[in-house]
Amino acid sequence: MKGPFGLLRGTSDPGLLRPAIARAVGLGVLWLVLAGGNPVDLAPGAVAALAATWVSLQFLPPGAVSVRPASLAGFTFRFLRQSVVAGVDVARRALDPRLPLHPGLVVYQTGLPPGPSQHMFTTLMSLLPGTVPTGPAPGSGLLIHCLDVEQPITAQLAAEEALFSSAIGWKQDNG
Amino acid sequence: MRFALDALTIFAVAAGAFFFLAGTVGLLRFPDALSRVHALTKADNLGLGLIVVGLLFQTEGLLAGLKLVAVWLLALLAGAAVTQLIARIAQAGGPRV
Amino acid sequence: MADFLLGAAGFVLAMVALGLVRTLHGPSTVDRIMAAQLLGTGGTAGLLLLAQEMNLPAAVDVALILALLAAFVSIALFTDAAQSDANRG
Repeated sequence: MKGPFGLLRGTSDPGLLRPAIARAVGLGVLWLVLAGGNPVDLAPGAVAALAATWVSLQFLPPGAVSVRPASLAGFTFRFLRQSVVAGVDVARRALDPRLPLHPGLVVYQTGLPPGPSQHMFTTLMSLLPGTVPTGPAPGSGLLIHCLDVEQPITAQLAAEEALFSSAIGWKQDNG
Repeated sequence: MRFALDALTIFAVAAGAFFFLAGTVGLLRFPDALSRVHALTKADNLGLGLIVVGLLFQTEGLLAGLKLVAVWLLALLAGAAVTQLIARIAQAGGPRV
Repeated sequence: MADFLLGAAGFVLAMVALGLVRTLHGPSTVDRIMAAQLLGTGGTAGLLLLAQEMNLPAAVDVALILALLAAFVSIALFTDAAQSDANRG
């Protein structure tokens, strides 16, 4: 039977036990933050945390990424700053009477393997300045929509990708 | 102290409201659907973030603050994930490259 | 402070309404999905402001649900659009 019970069976694998417990604890804390610590809410909270852990193990198997806390902190800080830059950039272009846009599509070759890490990177990319990922390019690479194709888009994305790779513990030269 | 916190709230919330204005202006002015996706995602997410930061100066207790941040992060993540889907259809429906 | 937060909530919701006029008119599916996304982000911001202004913590829960529902609406519309694309050939 599938469902949260599959998780219990899966825990016979010792490699799965630790990440499963870590995720369940993290999701349980998230529940407490969102729903509060009322004792009546704890049972549904535990069920929700277990179900969410099961879903997370399905879609993001342990080992696909190994987060490094120090790099992650640096990356998070940079990412927050970049999303401010992104918002300011859009606001400037939208409010400028001349509407300075050079929209277009750019093909970007990523060194990240297809799968969870590439998906995480494209999700972040949609919050970076001037880029929105629009799916795989014909042939190879990712098709990126840019507000201004005159910017050095691929160089910027490569720099972001290097930081992201180091935060999730993926070595660029593997790709 | 109260006054300083209120001033910070007013500043951050006003800045957030400004980015919602910019996002809507972008939606109205940008010529193609994919460019409008940029306006919507980037400006509005920053607007929501600044409003959350502004409200953090008014919350009482750590838990209430953490909850606001959690709501913002979930909204951010959901928005970023959906943006890719939107862009994917816009691209599929548009001219081929 | 309450007046300011109420005013900010009104302003953000007015911006959302203006954006909705544009996106709901938009010819493509993409524009309509953007409407759901706009309502999700802007509605969340408006509700968070109102929750603080009216001292109504439950409105924060409504804001969270609105943000997540908007994502599900977008995904449903996307699946629908992908399906009709596949049917067209």
